[in-house]
Amino acid sequence: MIEARALEVVRDGRRVLDGVALDAADSEVTAILGPNGAGKSTLLCALAGLLPVASGAVRIDGAPLATLDPRERARRIAYVPQKTELRAALGVETVVSHGRYAHTGGLGRPSPRDLRAIEGAMQRADVAALRGRRFDRLSTGEQRRVLIARALATEARTILLDEPAAALDVRHALELYALLGELAGEGLCLVVVLHGLDEARRFTHRATLLVGGRVAAAGPTSEVVTAPHVRDVYGVELVEDAALGFRLEGRE
Amino acid sequence: MPYLVLALALAAVAAVSLLIGPGDLADEELRATYLSLRAARVCGAMLAGGALGAAGAMVQGLFRNPLASPSILGTTAGASFGGQLVLLAHSGLASAGILAWVPPEAVLPLGCLAGAFASLLVLLAFVRGGADVLSLLLIGFALTSLFLSLGSFVTTLAVERYELGRAVVAFTLGGLGGVGWTHVRLAAPLVAVGLAAGWLWGRPLDVLLAGEAEAASLGVDVRDARRWVIAWVGVLTAAAVAIGGNIAFVGLVVPHALRPFVGAEHRKLVPATVLGGAAFLAACDVIARVLPTGVEAPLGVVTGLIGAPLFLALLVRMNREVVA
Repeated sequence: MIEARALEVVRDGRRVLDGVALDAADSEVTAILGPNGAGKSTLLCALAGLLPVASGAVRIDGAPLATLDPRERARRIAYVPQKTELRAALGVETVVSHGRYAHTGGLGRPSPRDLRAIEGAMQRADVAALRGRRFDRLSTGEQRRVLIARALATEARTILLDEPAAALDVRHALELYALLGELAGEGLCLVVVLHGLDEARRFTHRATLLVGGRVAAAGPTSEVVTAPHVRDVYGVELVEDAALGFRLEGRE
Repeated sequence: MPYLVLALALAAVAAVSLLIGPGDLADEELRATYLSLRAARVCGAMLAGGALGAAGAMVQGLFRNPLASPSILGTTAGASFGGQLVLLAHSGLASAGILAWVPPEAVLPLGCLAGAFASLLVLLAFVRGGADVLSLLLIGFALTSLFLSLGSFVTTLAVERYELGRAVVAFTLGGLGGVGWTHVRLAAPLVAVGLAAGWLWGRPLDVLLAGEAEAASLGVDVRDARRWVIAWVGVLTAAAVAIGGNIAFVGLVVPHALRPFVGAEHRKLVPATVLGGAAFLAACDVIARVLPTGVEAPLGVVTGLIGAPLFLALLVRMNREVVA
């Protein structure tokens, strides 16, 4: 499990996160929700230990994140970014194998266990067929699946994903959510930044709703994604059983 | 397969290089001497070219920019300035009867190393302070400008004395004419250590291709990796400058040209750039010797004349691929 207390992140003199608390338990998918600029991705980066925090603390399985060296942290937490900066001519399998870096180290050769983890991750993320391809020549959706495979190859018990279904076609998006459910069923802790409230309600157990860098609501997703919260935060009406699910305030 | 082709090309260039040069190999009495001089020269070319090729691959990986080269860190200019300063100081001391028995080529590598490390110390101080990649590029640019200015000043002082002026200008333009076994013996351990380090740091460099945040999330100690890679690039660059002076384009063009054939993985790319850089520089040295210019063309000029169009051609091809 991963927990954050009183997190404050300041960027360019602006407080991007202000006293944020989050609890994400094992065997659950926890959503981070909120409008654009609410601080969702910043919170995910802070949970991954990739951002300097002005104050507050993150604990992973009870251990302060700040005390872990980079490799130990990477063995415990996997992170799937919203966008990758990887543009190099690397093979798909090589990219997935980077998920084992924290296990093999910079000098080591992959062990049979590493190879099994890589193969298993590629099968689960449905990228085994892309094995012979170059990463920089894949579509955005295919690249996203490879990055998810890389995260699975880490065998970390906590996985943080920033809008993982963005750029995925509907089949792969549904498969991804099913996979997240499976992983939670295996006892993993998953934290997902989402824009879609409908996806959050269907596929996540708990949610933290951010607005302006602060927590507006937190708890079981069914109690967070409610008409009053949605109205307050997004300024739209939640319409149950409607085709789109929402309508703008004051419009039919 | 690419490695075999590169190794064969290197062997062919080395053979041609042994056959070309001043002196008649038919002269049985002097044949061994001529061959020894030429062998030292071709070894120097291979060491310098291999070092610059590998350093280029490492810098391009670190900065995730295929247009980067060892010179952008300021280490080339630093090593060059160190070499120029040592030549000036040695000449001054020798005129005063101090250390006159020490040949300048024996102290030249030390000056290059000192210059490269002076540049690196500034750079590493900024790394320790948490400077990002863009800041490091700008610091490297500033250091290059600084050392080039200082080097120009040293050259101005040196040209007051004819022989010293010639030596400093020849060193600045780059060349292997004066390379002997002393150069090779002094530079070879540096190149060997630098190349081994380049290969060993290959995996963190691969992971760093995804950017510093992603690499950190995968367990790379980014600051540590940056610090060490910069240090090894400095060692390789200093060794190359000590052998051949200021040689442009090898570190830029060779990794760029070989990446399509061996891929971006550094443990494959670095050995290929060692072979490719060695073959490229040895070939440029042969061309420098056979050009009908009356005098031996400066090596830095030849690498620039070949490297610049080659680089532009590679750039056009890369842009076409991006558009496609």
